[in-house]
Amino acid sequence: MEAYLVAIGIIALIYVLLSLGLTLQYGLTGLINFGHVGFFAIGAYASALLVLNGAPFIVGFAAAALLAGVAAWPIGLVSLRLRDDYFAIVTLGFSEVVRIVLTSERWLTNGVQGIPGIPRLYPSLGGATGQIATFATILAVTVFAAWMIRRIARSPFGRIIEAIRDNEEAVQALGKDPPRFKIQVLVVGAALAGIAGAFYAHYITYIVPEQYIPLVTFYVWMAIIMGGVGRVSGAVIGSVILMVFLEGSRFIRDVVPGISEVDMASVRIGLVGLLLILFIIYRPQGLMGDYTKR
Amino acid sequence: MTTNRRQFIGTLGAASALIAAPSVLRAQSQGVFRIGALCPVTGAGAPYGSGMQKMIIAAAEIVNAAGGAAGRKIEVVSEDTQTSPQAGVLAAKKLIDVNKVQAILGTWSSGVSLAVLPLTNDANIILMNTSGAPALSVPPANAKGLSYRFQATNDRFGRAFAEICVKEGFKRPATMAFNNASGIGNTEGFRKAWEAKGNKVVESVVYEPNQASYRSELQKVLAANPDVIVTGSYLSDTTIIMREWFQSGQPVKWIIPGWAANPDLVKATGPEVVEGVISVDSISNETAPSFKAYADVYQKVTGQSGQSNIFSAMTWDMVHALALAIEAAGSTETAAINAKIREVSNPEGTKVYSYAEGKEALKKGKINFEGASSVLDFDQYGDVSPSFGVFFIEGGKLNRRYVVNI
Repeated sequence: MEAYLVAIGIIALIYVLLSLGLTLQYGLTGLINFGHVGFFAIGAYASALLVLNGAPFIVGFAAAALLAGVAAWPIGLVSLRLRDDYFAIVTLGFSEVVRIVLTSERWLTNGVQGIPGIPRLYPSLGGATGQIATFATILAVTVFAAWMIRRIARSPFGRIIEAIRDNEEAVQALGKDPPRFKIQVLVVGAALAGIAGAFYAHYITYIVPEQYIPLVTFYVWMAIIMGGVGRVSGAVIGSVILMVFLEGSRFIRDVVPGISEVDMASVRIGLVGLLLILFIIYRPQGLMGDYTKR
Repeated sequence: MTTNRRQFIGTLGAASALIAAPSVLRAQSQGVFRIGALCPVTGAGAPYGSGMQKMIIAAAEIVNAAGGAAGRKIEVVSEDTQTSPQAGVLAAKKLIDVNKVQAILGTWSSGVSLAVLPLTNDANIILMNTSGAPALSVPPANAKGLSYRFQATNDRFGRAFAEICVKEGFKRPATMAFNNASGIGNTEGFRKAWEAKGNKVVESVVYEPNQASYRSELQKVLAANPDVIVTGSYLSDTTIIMREWFQSGQPVKWIIPGWAANPDLVKATGPEVVEGVISVDSISNETAPSFKAYADVYQKVTGQSGQSNIFSAMTWDMVHALALAIEAAGSTETAAINAKIREVSNPEGTKVYSYAEGKEALKKGKINFEGASSVLDFDQYGDVSPSFGVFFIEGGKLNRRYVVNI
C-alpha cells in the first residue's frame, strides 16, 4: 500500500508543478495557455536524452528547464500581441507542433518507437527507498516552486501581472509594457513544466510522443479550476483532488457490489466524469476560491 | 450550497478514507495464486481490451474447475490501463502493492508494457504482454527475463519479409511504412535482415497517417526503380496506395503484412489491382483444439466470433501457460515458475491443448502446450516465434504457397 501511495504522490506532485506554472500564467496574468503539454514534452525529452548519453541528472534537469523556457520565448514574441483567445489557439497549435516534431525527428527521438530504459533518479538506492527519495526530491522542488510563485505574486512584479490580467489597457496607460511581462511569465511557467517533464521521464522511464497529447494540458486546467484559479494553494489542492478522483475510483469495486470486473473500468471513467461535473456545479469557484473574480 | 471550505475538506478526507479502507483489510490470503489482468479496457485499445480481460477471467475459471494449479486457485484482479503509460503504471503499482498479485497479464500497447515492466521486475514477478516493440525483448527492459510476449514482433515480420525476398529472387527492394511503431518496426526489421545478407534497400519512405492520397510518396519510391515494395501498412492506406500505383502502370511486386493485404483489400480495390501481391501473416492455430475451446468460450461470453479478437486468444494462452508452469513447478515462487514456462510450452513433450489435459500429462512427463493464438514456443528472449504463412493473391483469392520459419 505504501509504495502505491508514494507512486500516486509522485504523479500528483508532477501535476502540482504543471499547475503552478499554469497558475502563474493564467491565474495571475490571464494568459490562456492551451499548450502546456508542449513544454512538458520538451523537458521530458531534453533530460531523458542527456542523461541517457551520460550527463548527470542535474544537467538533465537544468537543460529541461532551460530548453522549455527558451521554447516559450519566441511564442511569446510572435503571439502575445494577439487577443487572449487567439493566444489560446497558438499555444494549442504549438504543443501539437512539438508532438509532430518529436514523432518525425527519428534520429534524435527514435520517433514513434519512443525512448525506453530512461534511468530512474537515485539508481543506487533501488526499489522502495529510491521511490521515497524521488518523492522527497520532487516534494522539495515543488515546495520551492510554490514558495517562489507566492513571492512573485506578492512582489511589485506580481501586482503588475495581476493588473495586466484585470485591465491591460490601464496598465499600458500607466506606461508599462505588458508584452514584456507576459513573456517573462510565459518563460517561467514553461520552465516549471519542463522540470515536471524531466521528473515524469525519469519516473515512468519510457517516453513516446503519443503521451504528450492535449489531454494532459486539460488535466492541468481541470486541476487549477477545481482548486481555485489564481491561488498557489488552489494549484496544489486541485491536483490532489484530481488524483483522488482518478485513483480513488479504482477502489469503488470494493464498496459497490454487482458490477463485473470488466464493466468496472468503464463505470470508473464515467464516475470520474460525474464527480468532476458535480464538483464544478457545487463549487464553481474551486475549493480555495477564485481570485481572478474578486 | 453553504458548505464552507473546512467542512468540504473534511468530507473529502472522510470519503477517501472510506474508499481506501477495504483494501487495507485485503491481506494476502492463503491457498490462492493471484494474477493481475491489466488490459486496455478504455482508450485506443478498447476494441480489444474488454475481450482480453474477459478471456483471462474465463481461462482462470477453467483452471480452477480442473482443480487449480499446484493446489491453488487462480484469483484474478482486474485493472484498466486506459491505454496510457501513466495510468498503466499507477494501475500496476496498485495491483502489486495493494492486491499483492504474483503475475501481471495482458498489457497491450508497447508504451504501457515498457512502462510497467520496470515495476514487475522490481517486484520480481512475471509480465505477459501482447506488444510489438523490439525493445521489450532485451535489457534494460527485459533484464530479468521475466517478460513474455505472445504476439509476433514487428521485427520478426520484417525478417520474414527478407526471407521471402531471397526466395522469390528480388534484388532491388524498397520500403514504405506508416509512421507508427508497428509500421516502422516492420520495415526496419526488414532492412536490418536484408542488409545483414549483404544487400541494399534502394529507397525507404515513411508516410503520415490519414492522407487522402499517397501519390508523392509513391512516386519517390517508384523513381528508385525497385523490383519489389515491402510495406508496413494498414488496410485503409494500403487501399489508396494500391489504387494509385495501379494507375501509374509501373510494374512492381508487393509484400504486405496480412492485416492489410486481406480479403477486404481485394474487395476494396478489385481483384485485378492486387493480382500477384504477396501477403504475409503469422499462422494462428485455428485448426487446433485449443483454438476451438477458446472460440467457444469467447462466443459464449461476448457473442462474437473468436477470430474477431486475436489478442483475447493470446490472453487465453497466457493463463494456460502460466497455470501449467505453476503446476509443473509445484510452487508459487516466481523463479520456479519462470524456469518452467518454456518447458511446458516449447517442443519436446506430449502435445496438449487444454489445461486439464496438460495437468494430467504432467504427471507422466514433459508437455508441449499448443495455444489458441499460436503453437506458443518461446525463444530465449521470451518472444513467441510463430511460423509465417506466405499467401499470393491470385484471381481475388489468397492462396497459401509456403511457410517461412524464422
